[in-house]
Amino acid sequence: MRPNRRRCFVPNAAKTDLAGMTASAIAAAVSSGQIDAVGMVEAALVRIRERDQEFNSFTTVTEQRARLRAQAIDVKLARGEAVGPLAGVPFAVKNLFDIAGIPTLAGSKINRDNPPAGRDATLIERLERAGAILLGALNMGEYAYDFTGENVHYGAARNPHDLDRMSGGSSSGSAVAVAGGLVPLTLGSDTNGSIRVPSSLCGIFGLKPTYGRLSRVGTFPFVASLDHLGPLARTVRDLALAYDIMQGFDADDPVCADRPVEPVTPLLEMGSEGLRVAVASDYFKCENVVVRSAVERVAAALNANREIEIPEARRARSAAFIVTATEGASLHLNRLRSRARNFDPAVRDRFLAGAIAPASLIVKAQKFRRWYRARVLPLFETIDAILAPATPCTAPFIGQQTFTYGDVELPVRANLGLYTQPISFIGLPVVAAPVPFKPLPLGVQIIAAPWREDVALRLAHALESMGVAAATSPASQIETSLRTANGNRPTRGRGRSQNRI
Amino acid sequence: MKSKTRKKPKSASSKRKALRLSKTRAGSSGATLVADAARALGLPIDPAWEAGVTFNLQLIMRHAALVDEFALSDEAEPAPVFRA
Repeated sequence: MRPNRRRCFVPNAAKTDLAGMTASAIAAAVSSGQIDAVGMVEAALVRIRERDQEFNSFTTVTEQRARLRAQAIDVKLARGEAVGPLAGVPFAVKNLFDIAGIPTLAGSKINRDNPPAGRDATLIERLERAGAILLGALNMGEYAYDFTGENVHYGAARNPHDLDRMSGGSSSGSAVAVAGGLVPLTLGSDTNGSIRVPSSLCGIFGLKPTYGRLSRVGTFPFVASLDHLGPLARTVRDLALAYDIMQGFDADDPVCADRPVEPVTPLLEMGSEGLRVAVASDYFKCENVVVRSAVERVAAALNANREIEIPEARRARSAAFIVTATEGASLHLNRLRSRARNFDPAVRDRFLAGAIAPASLIVKAQKFRRWYRARVLPLFETIDAILAPATPCTAPFIGQQTFTYGDVELPVRANLGLYTQPISFIGLPVVAAPVPFKPLPLGVQIIAAPWREDVALRLAHALESMGVAAATSPASQIETSLRTANGNRPTRGRGRSQNRI
Repeated sequence: MKSKTRKKPKSASSKRKALRLSKTRAGSSGATLVADAARALGLPIDPAWEAGVTFNLQLIMRHAALVDEFALSDEAEPAPVFRA
């Protein structure tokens, strides 16, 4: 039965800039009755239909589920019942999150043959309990072993700032859907930088919480000892709002910490007051002038006048590389035996190499990891946060094989995460904050001590308040909006058709 | 009682030697290692993939050499924690 709606208000996407609304603003508008949840969902579906032909960020759009969910929220509102702090907020998830009723692809062709997931991932359940509405599953690098956003099976997710450039990966669709204004909030995973790299290249905010903070139940793994989940959004407030809702112990995830929920949203306005910030030196000093400018701009805004060395960062990155290659290969050993030809060739060769690497070196990398953690954590006795670049360059072109780093050419696929890997290797919380350079943005990592996501989010919020960090609207989004408003269809259809259910 | 003393760090020359050894190991016999290990693990590697797999194995070995040359005590524990 169709529920009674307070209004029959389905906004016209061409007239109303719902694409620019933040999750916080949507929740406030829906809760206060300015707009209904059904209208919000319909507007988002229109945007996805019209724009994602170019962006290629969604692999499945859960239309029917979203409409039913929105109707239920509107009914609750009409009855005067509580709907939660994310009422009517459309969101989407990297397609390694389980969504009840569809197979969890994890960016692969092979997983299409898996049975549909029996239930949603824990983080989806928590967001929906708070009133958010799932709109679908997002493109990603195959099995999350990717920094580029390219995918041989589903096509590359395209950077909304320049459709010929990489989105970054592996949470490629998660960054593109937010940067392109399709939804205000997405979830991704970060094993070595897979939230921070695409956030940097697409110019949005991304949070990789402390290892063990958020439940990973109901997600397809990559490297169990390094896997994190987290939100991506256009504002820090939206990141914090989603993060606060997703916190909490989950006994079904063996590494999820049994800690109390520590809300950050109420602390954001404290800003940078009293926080000591330093800039990472040595390994993190980048010769790329744009990268250096981004870090300098952020450092100046936060009065970060001192430098600090993260000891043995280069070696930590190497150890993370080994652990990733070998643990990841171990996960896929049977699929490599039986279906090697169905892998993306670039990913397959890396996994096969990881399967062959000697075990003694892997144990050594894990021993080094503990040594490194013991040397890095004391740094936070004298400072509260460390700044470092998120990526060594702005978005490369899709298909580009190498980039210039100092005076050498490095392979793109393996090296876009060279600044993120030493940090996630010991599970530190990080916010990637976008510096809105034109024509291409670039992110800076704000790194805090374990369990101090509040510090990183407060600093990011301070930067946002000063205008130093911001998720700007890409030119492609504006052009598409104009074409849509003028009644013209977008002319650059490069994406593959989505599965709409 | 366990000793808390770290081993003396290797000299620069021995580190370089270790690195060279690893590079040689991976570079000259990488393809053989790939073929032998693939057979032992039951991994079907198409001849067309060998170059790509060998390249990636060499990359892993270069990173491994950097970790391998770092002196750790015999008492150093690995990072993953098993909770009973």
